[in-house]
Amino acid sequence: MTQILLRQDHTGQCLSFGQYCDAGGFEALRTALGGMSPNDVQQAVIDSGLRGRGGAGFPTGKKWSFVPRNLPGPRYLICNCDEMEPGTYKDRVLLEQNPHILIEGMALTCYALGVEHAFIFVRRGYEQAAANLRTAIGAAKQAGFLGSDILGSGFSLQLDIHQSAGRYICGEETALINALEGIRANPRVKPPFPAVKGLWGQPTVVNNVETLANIPAIIAHGPTWWKGLAATPEAAGTKLFCISGHVRNTECFELPLGTPLGKIIDGPCGGMRPGSTFKACIPGGASTPYFTREHWGVAMDFDPVAKAGSRLGTGGIIVFDQNTCMVAATLNLTRFYARESCGWCTPCREGLPFLVHTLEKIEQGLGTESDPDILREHVHALNYAFCALAPGAMGPVEGLLRLFEDELREHITKGRCPFGD
Amino acid sequence: MPKLIIDNIPVEVPEGTNVLEAARSIGIVIPHFCWHPALGRAGACRACAVKMLDGPVKGLQMSCMLPAQDGMVVSTTDAEAMAMRRSVIEWLMINHPHDCPVCDEGGECQLQDFTIAGGHGIRRYDGRKRTYNNQYLGEFIAHEMNRCIQCYRCVRFYQEYAGGTDFGVMGRAAMVYFGRQSDGPLESPFSGNLVDICPTGVFTDKTARFRARYWDYDMAPSICPHCSLGCNITPVARYRELLKVVARRNDRVNGWFICDRGRFPKANVNALDRPRQPLVDGKATSWDEALDALRERLNGFLELNGTQSLAIIGSPRMSMEGNTMAARLHKLLDTGKICYFSDSVHAGQTLEAVASLTPDNAASQEDVRQADLVAIVGSDLLAEAPMMALAVRQAWRNGAPVYVVGEETSTLFEYVAVASLSDIPLAEAKHPVLICGTNHVGSDIIDTAARNKAKLSFILDGPNAFGCALLSQEYGATPLSEAVASGKIKGLISFESDLTLELPAGIRVLAAADCRKTPLLSRAEIVLPSSAWVEMDGTFINNEGRAQRFKQVMEPGLPIKGLDPAGHPPRLHRNTPPGGEVLPTWRIIAKITERLGSEWIEDPLSDQWERLRELDAEGEGISVV
Repeated sequence: MTQILLRQDHTGQCLSFGQYCDAGGFEALRTALGGMSPNDVQQAVIDSGLRGRGGAGFPTGKKWSFVPRNLPGPRYLICNCDEMEPGTYKDRVLLEQNPHILIEGMALTCYALGVEHAFIFVRRGYEQAAANLRTAIGAAKQAGFLGSDILGSGFSLQLDIHQSAGRYICGEETALINALEGIRANPRVKPPFPAVKGLWGQPTVVNNVETLANIPAIIAHGPTWWKGLAATPEAAGTKLFCISGHVRNTECFELPLGTPLGKIIDGPCGGMRPGSTFKACIPGGASTPYFTREHWGVAMDFDPVAKAGSRLGTGGIIVFDQNTCMVAATLNLTRFYARESCGWCTPCREGLPFLVHTLEKIEQGLGTESDPDILREHVHALNYAFCALAPGAMGPVEGLLRLFEDELREHITKGRCPFGD
Repeated sequence: MPKLIIDNIPVEVPEGTNVLEAARSIGIVIPHFCWHPALGRAGACRACAVKMLDGPVKGLQMSCMLPAQDGMVVSTTDAEAMAMRRSVIEWLMINHPHDCPVCDEGGECQLQDFTIAGGHGIRRYDGRKRTYNNQYLGEFIAHEMNRCIQCYRCVRFYQEYAGGTDFGVMGRAAMVYFGRQSDGPLESPFSGNLVDICPTGVFTDKTARFRARYWDYDMAPSICPHCSLGCNITPVARYRELLKVVARRNDRVNGWFICDRGRFPKANVNALDRPRQPLVDGKATSWDEALDALRERLNGFLELNGTQSLAIIGSPRMSMEGNTMAARLHKLLDTGKICYFSDSVHAGQTLEAVASLTPDNAASQEDVRQADLVAIVGSDLLAEAPMMALAVRQAWRNGAPVYVVGEETSTLFEYVAVASLSDIPLAEAKHPVLICGTNHVGSDIIDTAARNKAKLSFILDGPNAFGCALLSQEYGATPLSEAVASGKIKGLISFESDLTLELPAGIRVLAAADCRKTPLLSRAEIVLPSSAWVEMDGTFINNEGRAQRFKQVMEPGLPIKGLDPAGHPPRLHRNTPPGGEVLPTWRIIAKITERLGSEWIEDPLSDQWERLRELDAEGEGISVV
């Protein structure tokens, strides 16, 4: 099993610049600047089938192709490191171990897109990651991989870190752009999409950390090799899965994309904790509908997971055992989203607190027969919110209604939570 | 022009119209809060859901966000769309207090209307409502944040449209707060528009708080008399008291908004000690006696001094009706002078400015908003005509550069200060507008504008200064200072005049008509109380030569709070309310001419002004340039 992001020999400590270079780091950048045109780099990414690792799974090469090449003025690349989805910590693990791979990936991307100024938007709490990035940028600059006229190619790149003031909504790409510009982090109207009109009105590509970190391997080893790292012919590359919940090993693993859910839990996760049996899991971060035992065999790749009624999302798997109250779990997640709404649109700002209130009532045993209808209406209506936050928040609620309606009704008929306090 | 079908009705709308506006154009009002014609789309409230049945876009869509396109088939009554709208209203009403009975907005509240329209009746939410602390925002605007439905209109108007910086949005999620960093008066000279633009009762007019309901209002379309721009307004009165003023839409003039200076001053109308009864030598009397006294004294004066020693004084703040009647009195008596302006330099400049305007080059406020270059010469717009500054800001927001010759203190737009007119690249613009203060009118400006095909806008002194300039030409009027300097004038009759010069003691003020207590009135032998502009119909001609009709809003009379409680219940039973004996100035002049033996004049607009008789108060006005 080949790993390209978290090298097998990682020690849990941050890779030094020298170690990274010794292990073949920045070779991809040398290759690209030495003989590939920007279009070649973009074509390689398109051929690799790389899909965005930030949650939506949009094909990366396609996203790049939306950038108009003939507009005057600068273009920008922003690395989205505002990782705030509950259950997701892959970017932190990656950057705490190997910030250099992101810098190389961004340099390659900027070369492909003709970007001369790029930003890394780092989550408020990721102090260590930001510190590592700062050191890594300094080292890369010293070595001539950043700055002006990189490796004598004429290509220049300035890379800046912006530490977020901290809110979940800043992970939404247009809200992120607003935050970076120093204004309120409300999402923007789309279209125009950032690829056409983004940061300061210029074409801007926003990519996730993990997405960009995959670029060096695609360039260094070729798209076919990279694509073949996956577990199924349809999938492409590897994926960071970050595990939490009632399993033995709650760590971040780099696994072939398309590895079946059961194999992840029984394999690297080491199975359930003693005394626990698998009840359900969140497959891809807090905004994805639950999986149960019946989804054990689903290949953890974008399309198969979507077909099974959920989303691969960020690959943040949260496992619940038999003693977990799914109403309480859903309530917990919904509280997060209600708190993190930016307050711009009505469904999100008012609908989520209404849902929290309803779920609280049900969990406290005060629910009524009509409360599931309120949940159901919201699952539908919140799809028409301004951005993807509210529809995402409906993932767990939709899963609760579809998979655990009996448990929900039991709360109401018994007038208490069947799992106790 | 896209053609689409809305609720089975085919409709064709201009390019760029959204589906919500397209529906409005055929009388279908889709509930909406955040969308506003002047502010555009925001997509925040999600109340305007419609179902797209066929065409380029399908499914449930927010109609304000969707530009109308060919082939769209829209249903506003689709069950899913109606369910969505009901949900949105239910969400908004979760936290909205049930305080309509004590809310000034009640009865004219968009939230009330759309709650009903949205079909939400029974509230299912049974938790606690969210509450906020209110702020002190000054003496004009009351703040009641609990009523807020977070449509973001206020902050979009205040910051984006009007360039204010001391009011904004704070917090996030369900605790979004619209206010200032701390208590204090709102700084924007356009803050009063928050009252108009808020779809519910967060911002209400403090000066009219708890005074009346919508269905109690006396109101009529009117024109603001506070500067020369002629912004359209709707004054609101009850019980003979002017309560408040709200903006009235006129896309060519003020658009949707007005300035605070036009909105809040009401003292001149409501003043208890305003002239309300005719006075002869300071003693209250009846109209008949006052007019008889005037006839006698006038005859005596004319016998002694001759007609050439009498001057009739009109005023740029008086309606066209009053000013034309003043001219007719001047003709009738063949008096030496008719004066509309006090100062000769100022009068000359105003006349030159007015004469230079043509139907092609006169710039309306809308022309300014649409300009691609604005040059301001010698005018502090925020001080002289605030709404013009706001119009310039809209041009600037659309990318037009602004150049300023001379002093300009406005912070509403960025500008390039230049030394002279020739430094402004007017020739590079397609739709340039030159805005000029009256004191700087000169042939250089007029010639420069003509050479560059720039439109012109002059800021004049008074709501009818334009009309006075036209009448000055028509009747060969003399500025008062000149008339006085000639030494021939020994007496005058003044109508609503604000004289800026000291009258020599030897000049008699035979009579003065006004609705305000002016220094001239205290010198007048006969005082003739006239109606305020809200108490009569009339016409103003604004700075671009646009004649606009204002209608009578209220019956004149002493406001109830001015009545002596000892006089209650009234023992005198009359048809006129107490203090209601004032007359429009033009009618006072008609009465004077009748006393002097002429026929009674029923309509003051005669000759070339007859075309203004049919002026529609709710139209865009008629150009007289």
